[in-house]
Amino acid sequence: MIKLTRVSKTFDGGRSYAVKDLSLSVDRGKTLVLLGSSGCGKTTTLKMINRLIKPTKGIIEVGGKDVTDHNPVDLRRQIGYVFQGIGLFPHMTIKQNVEIVPRLLGWPTHSRRERMQELLNLVGLPAESFAERFPDELSGGQQQRVGVARALAANPAYLLMDEPFGALDALTREALQQQLLTLKNQLKKTIVFVTHDLHEALLIGDRIAILHEGNLEQIGTKKDILDTPATKFVQDLFTIKRPDTLT
Amino acid sequence: MSLDALVAYVVERLPELWLRTGEHLMLTGCSTLGAMFIGIPVGILLFRTTWLRGPLMGVIGILQTIPSLAMLVFLLALLKKIGVLPALIALTLYALLPIARNTLTGLEEVSAEVMEAAEGIGMQEYQQLMMVRIPLAAPMIVAGIRTAAVVGVGIATLSAFIGAGGLGQFINRGLALANIKLILLGAIPAALLALAVDFSIGAFEWGLRPERKRDKKGSVQSLMRRLAFMLPVVLVLISIITYLTKPGWISKSATQLKTGHRIIRIATKNFTEQLILGEMMAQLIETKTDLIVERRFNLGGTMICHGALVNGEIDLYAEYTGTGLTAILKHPVISDPEEALNHVTKAYHERFDAQWLKPFGFNNTYAITVREADAKKNKWNRISDLGNTAIELRAGFTAEFAERPDGYPGLRQIYGLRFGEVRDFDAALMYEAVAKGQVDVICAFATDGRIAAYNLKPLKDDRNFFPPYHAAPVIREEILKTHPKLGDVLSLFGGLIDNATMQRLNFEVDGKKRRTSEVVEEFLKAKGIF
Ligand SMILES: Nc1ncnc2c1ncn2[C@@H]1O[C@H](COP(=O)(O)OP(=O)(O)OP(=O)(O)O)[C@@H](O)[C@H]1O
Ligand SMILES: [Mg+2]
Repeated sequence: MIKLTRVSKTFDGGRSYAVKDLSLSVDRGKTLVLLGSSGCGKTTTLKMINRLIKPTKGIIEVGGKDVTDHNPVDLRRQIGYVFQGIGLFPHMTIKQNVEIVPRLLGWPTHSRRERMQELLNLVGLPAESFAERFPDELSGGQQQRVGVARALAANPAYLLMDEPFGALDALTREALQQQLLTLKNQLKKTIVFVTHDLHEALLIGDRIAILHEGNLEQIGTKKDILDTPATKFVQDLFTIKRPDTLT
Repeated sequence: MSLDALVAYVVERLPELWLRTGEHLMLTGCSTLGAMFIGIPVGILLFRTTWLRGPLMGVIGILQTIPSLAMLVFLLALLKKIGVLPALIALTLYALLPIARNTLTGLEEVSAEVMEAAEGIGMQEYQQLMMVRIPLAAPMIVAGIRTAAVVGVGIATLSAFIGAGGLGQFINRGLALANIKLILLGAIPAALLALAVDFSIGAFEWGLRPERKRDKKGSVQSLMRRLAFMLPVVLVLISIITYLTKPGWISKSATQLKTGHRIIRIATKNFTEQLILGEMMAQLIETKTDLIVERRFNLGGTMICHGALVNGEIDLYAEYTGTGLTAILKHPVISDPEEALNHVTKAYHERFDAQWLKPFGFNNTYAITVREADAKKNKWNRISDLGNTAIELRAGFTAEFAERPDGYPGLRQIYGLRFGEVRDFDAALMYEAVAKGQVDVICAFATDGRIAAYNLKPLKDDRNFFPPYHAAPVIREEILKTHPKLGDVLSLFGGLIDNATMQRLNFEVDGKKRRTSEVVEEFLKAKGIF
């Protein structure tokens, strides 16, 4: 379970807020999608959850425990994070990149290896041809998939995914979305998923939070949001996009 | 010079060339290694402690700007040692800046995104540093090491100043003797060595890069990579082995064991006359006693020779009364030669436990010198004779003479001379300039061989303005006590060499490019000393 209570973050001493008075929660095994325009505070929210950024105000809990009571390193190792900028280690091979968290956790070599092969196959990058390559020998979309594999490697109970499928073509993206859904249903992962893409939000999210300029406009299930948009912003979002993105 | 002669010249010196190259590489390699061991941790420390950056980089930067000779003199005073150790320390200090700075820059330049990922997936702080930041900064750090090593090859030529050997030995000797062949014998291999070092560290960097899959494991390339990676290490190892197995080193330490205190170490400064005097004392001692002479020639100047003598690193060298008086004792000028000698003798005995022996005879002071033809025509014999005509003359002085109180400023005062034009010259070019008529008057050194060779005439210092610079052997009293005979032997030189003779000997060596040892031997035979 992930829970934010009245969380605010300002980078400039209170003149503007990247996140303002945000309260939301994700139940165990559920997926929350953060949807919103660029600069509305989605990445900031994710980073506060794994303590890369310290909130200015408010309480964040992971697994029922205030994050500030967790050892940050242990906390981060239980949370798989797919970074918006991917952030693969350029001096490590794909194999080393995927195995890094299990290695930090001290897994034996053979289980690391098995896990790495399993994950690379899962994201559609067969280990035989990709494991030994370096990140700069992969396309942007392939790198993004390695980022997903790295986040999943140590079987974390929580996943923070910051636009993980942004650079993928429609087909690959759909395949990965389906895999994520399966994964989520089988393994009961608690996921916070950031996207710009309405279609993706509606497909993946058990609930959807719509952010605008640091404020939470509305949070609710697909049905809630489509049937009773809470604000004009939410309403516009869907009327403009409805024809081509809704199924 | 024909090609054959050139080849013969080099072949003859090949063993020494090999040895000096080994020494040079050892000095550069070990100091670069030392600088790595200090500089990389310092760079890391600075990266983590922002407030230290200004002060510490400042100090390292200042170290860099200390002139090498000053650094060597300072280390000599501090360590009371000449030779390899101070040279290594000086070179290490110079290599510190590029390595520490590149380490800092390299660490800072790692992309923030990658570091955020490292932190975000749950690496401890030291894991972020060791597993991500340092590996990514490595190329930059290696580039710093490369700069340090290549620059180090250049600076290491100065090690010869304090008797640490290296290719600088040829260069120094060549400079002292105005012998271009010798200079090139040191300079060209040094340049090649710099290229080799640059190449080997470049190869190291290539070997350091992660192996790509397309490079195929076990291929020739993979093997080359491993070899390239080892190249600098192999180079340094070879140099250390060369250094430790050099013939002189083995035989010397062996003889040292056997003969104990029967070795006498003679030093010289780095110019022709000093080398001649040193060689003369060495040959005399070798024939007249059963002592073994160790030649530690060509040290980088008065302060280094004196420091080494006081610290017991050398036993004997030739010093000039004027230099001892003003440069070492910081005493005002004493114009009377006798009185000057008495003063230094007494002061050296009291303060340095060193003894001035009988002077060689000549006085290597400044001499206002003109062309002989002009002197005849105008009846110039003494400096006073220049009188009112001075204003029509062009003078060529060394920069030092133009400024020193016992140079042109004093000359103007005492003799009331004012030259129409004064030009600054390098000492070596000054003689040419007057001989070719580009200037009319120069401040020659009284014993320079070119005075006679170029038909110049030194004018008599009729008002005793220039301080006396009589050369004499200066020896440690301890050595004199153990070998009392040495004093008598060296006294054979008393008054043996007048200015004209010294001029001639100097010219034999730096004008006619003859070997110092040959010229000295010939002279001693002629004087009936052998
Ligand atoms: N380190 C920082 N210092 C100052 N301001 C920041 C910092 N990080 C983010 N911000 C600001 O906070 C706001 C929210 O940024 P955030 O990265 O959370 O946006 P986002 O919703 O992820 O946008 P996008 O969809 O473009 O990724 C932005 O206005 C941004 O300029
Ligand atoms: Mg973002």
